Amino acid sequence: MESLLKSFRKKNAISVIMNRQKRFAAADDSVPSGTDAARELARALHPKKQYVKVAAVTERAADVKSFTLVPDPARGTESLAWFGAGKYLTVFVTINGMPVTRAYSISSAPKDTLEGKYELTVKLVDGGLVSRYILDNWAVGTEVTVSAPEGNFEYQPLRDAKTVIGLAGGSGITPFLSMAQAIRDGDEDFELILLYGSRNKDNILFFDKLAALEKACPRFKVVHVLSDADAEAGEGFEKGFITAELIRKYAPQDAPYSVFLCGPQQMYAFVDKELEKLGLERKYIRHEMFGEFHNPAAQPDYPAGVPETVKITVTQAGETKTVEGSSNDSVLQILEKNGIAAPARCRSGECGWCHSLLISGEVYCPKQLEFRRMADKQFGFIHPCCSFPLTDLVLDVPEAK
Amino acid sequence: MSNNYDVIVIGAGNGGLAAAAECARAGLKTLLLEKHNIPGGSASSFVRGRFEFEPSLHELCTVGTPEKPENVGQVFQELGAKVDWRTHNSTYRLIVPAKEDDPEGFVGENGVRVKVDAAMPVGFEAFSRKLDSIVPGSYEPSMKIFKLSTLMFEAFDMLGSGKVNPVKLMTKYGDVFKMMSHTAKECMDEVGLPEKAQGIFTAYWCYLGGPPMRIDMLYYMAMMHGYIKGGASMPHLRSHEMSCAIDKVIRDNGGEIRYNSEATKVLMKDGKPCGVEINGKTEVYGRYIICNVHPNFALPDLFPADQIPEDAKKKANGRPVAATLYTVYLGMNRTKEELGFHDYSVFIAPTADSDEQFHLSQGKMGGGYVIINCMNEAIPDCSPEGTSILFLTGICYGDVMQGVKPQDYKKMKTKVADEMITRCEKTLGLSIKPYIEEIEIGLPPTFSRYLNTPYGSPYGYQLDMWDSMLPRTIQYGKDQPFDNFLFCGASQERGDGYGSAYYTGQKAAGIVIKKFKEGK
Repeated sequence: MESLLKSFRKKNAISVIMNRQKRFAAADDSVPSGTDAARELARALHPKKQYVKVAAVTERAADVKSFTLVPDPARGTESLAWFGAGKYLTVFVTINGMPVTRAYSISSAPKDTLEGKYELTVKLVDGGLVSRYILDNWAVGTEVTVSAPEGNFEYQPLRDAKTVIGLAGGSGITPFLSMAQAIRDGDEDFELILLYGSRNKDNILFFDKLAALEKACPRFKVVHVLSDADAEAGEGFEKGFITAELIRKYAPQDAPYSVFLCGPQQMYAFVDKELEKLGLERKYIRHEMFGEFHNPAAQPDYPAGVPETVKITVTQAGETKTVEGSSNDSVLQILEKNGIAAPARCRSGECGWCHSLLISGEVYCPKQLEFRRMADKQFGFIHPCCSFPLTDLVLDVPEAK
Repeated sequence: MSNNYDVIVIGAGNGGLAAAAECARAGLKTLLLEKHNIPGGSASSFVRGRFEFEPSLHELCTVGTPEKPENVGQVFQELGAKVDWRTHNSTYRLIVPAKEDDPEGFVGENGVRVKVDAAMPVGFEAFSRKLDSIVPGSYEPSMKIFKLSTLMFEAFDMLGSGKVNPVKLMTKYGDVFKMMSHTAKECMDEVGLPEKAQGIFTAYWCYLGGPPMRIDMLYYMAMMHGYIKGGASMPHLRSHEMSCAIDKVIRDNGGEIRYNSEATKVLMKDGKPCGVEINGKTEVYGRYIICNVHPNFALPDLFPADQIPEDAKKKANGRPVAATLYTVYLGMNRTKEELGFHDYSVFIAPTADSDEQFHLSQGKMGGGYVIINCMNEAIPDCSPEGTSILFLTGICYGDVMQGVKPQDYKKMKTKVADEMITRCEKTLGLSIKPYIEEIEIGLPPTFSRYLNTPYGSPYGYQLDMWDSMLPRTIQYGKDQPFDNFLFCGASQERGDGYGSAYYTGQKAAGIVIKKFKEGK
């Protein structure tokens, strides 16, 4: 057969190999550095864990405290990871031998990390195990372990409108407080108009700080929406609840705006209906996750005849155990209550850290918390933080690193 | 449970998954370790709002059909891993925008001035005819190249069958050996493919990371042939579906997988690896270790400095890292029709010359190629009704993050994404920005975090004429640091790509299985 590459000579494979060998012989024989700028940046932004200490405690209101956290070099954290305003830290605590996690939005400015400071603000949740523990136990000097900054509740200039109407309820103020400071510091570039719902003036968290920020930064405005009948009125105050009408009043009249929500589950139930009246495109409405989901049996699609207690057989790093728990608790809670540390960050179904294999049994996941990947559903992976057992289960759960 | 395994696989990237699946299927007691909480490395997915994004896969060639699977299709069929493939019958559209005063410029389909606008069809004949219509005189040389690549696959089949007829190999397939030792550029010149047509013919170079001047024709055609012959396939549920399917094969065959389990140290005994420390605390032991971590990180991260063979250090230091990609993922609140997309892959090149494109990508982002993909063209139901998914990919070389501080990174991401989107809008004459419902931006640190590779490169070492598939394949054994510690993945002989990584995993597994059978 005639060659299509007539003028080419075949090269001898041996010479090709010799040539390669020669290149290697001349190469540096030191241990490869194992580092580069991309890796260092990834490590700085996403440390596996951050070891910090409580440096200050500030009472904000009854059962609400802010904790200033600083690096704890003795345990290996020299500096704190930078974050985009709106992100949260997951706190790792062990309460009576029970390893648990909670996510708290960072309320300090991103710039404060350069001075080695994060601030977390913790409000007592009704029947809240972890919030109670933190409020009672954290004091100056307490050693605390937190995650890297996590979450997607952040301003994104290519996606969001130039103006953001922030809707905050209770301790849902924290990410907005960070955003307002980031705007002031030039780390974020948008207008923030905050409608902050509280019962009365005395319940407002960070009242002075918000006022000072408003003064220092013309791109930030706060309106306190007070629900008590005899609450304060006047400039900067509104009475009642956050309604469509109120949003219209403060939103730009002739330009698009985004709505960011952060608050308790009940607030979303109310405000989401109000938002429908505004007819905004879906891209302009963003919710922060509200934390753990409770009482699955109250959901209309929750099946009948679920046993009160279930057995979970769980394999973790090659060790298998069987534990018992209530079907009213999430799989994650049952594991934790039995002293099993499971990986978890957001505890709202979204982040996927708890991703585990359900080998047998059935679970219920509320529709609004269904953030699993499509293939996960097909291959039986679940997010234990928002999966409630309907039967006995057999699970493979990754180690909590 | 005993801490002793026949084989420990470090890293559940494509190579590690394939290796662990093969070992488990062969009945070896197999442990697969992965530091992340899901399998796949590059082959994964992530959810933002109502969209599920594909992090890395552009398209897979050689899946074939269930009746007649080709390379990648065979891997899955042999493993018994079920994937719902979606095949689409297009290759790429290459657009080179023209400056106002460029005499070669003309107004293209989208009403924008271009120098090249080539939407290339599937099929050797159709492809060559289209090329000829753009650059007259291209038909014959283009068909010659496909004839060469057809010969090449015949030769591969013969070599793979074990029935090698040396005389036939040298007479009938002599050209295949020539392709192997000449660059793509030299071969295109030799068959007389016009210069301008070469730019269109080699538009896929970005998938390999090496330009036609630097890679051999055999390597280029090994990929190109598959795409032009049969189009490309995608898994229906993003590449996470592929990784989950292999995860299942491993477990179904008695293999053990541990996620969130980072290999923090390789344990040594008498100068040889004998096990792995997990998460800095647990020790497990294995007779063989297959490692899906890039050698430049695995060697310093996992081994005591005085235990790394000198040859391994020199090989890590002596080979340049291949291309790094950066990607913008967009969940759009409009359909592809409303947006005006009708191509799956559009390659936007700053110049018609592949080598110039390569040079423009050195040391910085934003200089070279941008590939824009509309996933709904390949998988119409990949996003909810009324929406679509786009992803934009750029290519760069080197440690482009030098001097970037953590506090500046978010702004940098936005800037890079903004420039890429703007470039696509201008080149395609359509509007993207107002319709972005979800966006995620992956720059080299993102890929560094998830892939654990130098510069975040998914491509391994730069394939070059001196370090091409041929010497890599011949010297495979010598490239491994210990006889019971084998690397797999993009750093190995076939370079980047899912198919290549699966191949290297299967190859490493094959060696281990053979040694077990021999009682070693």
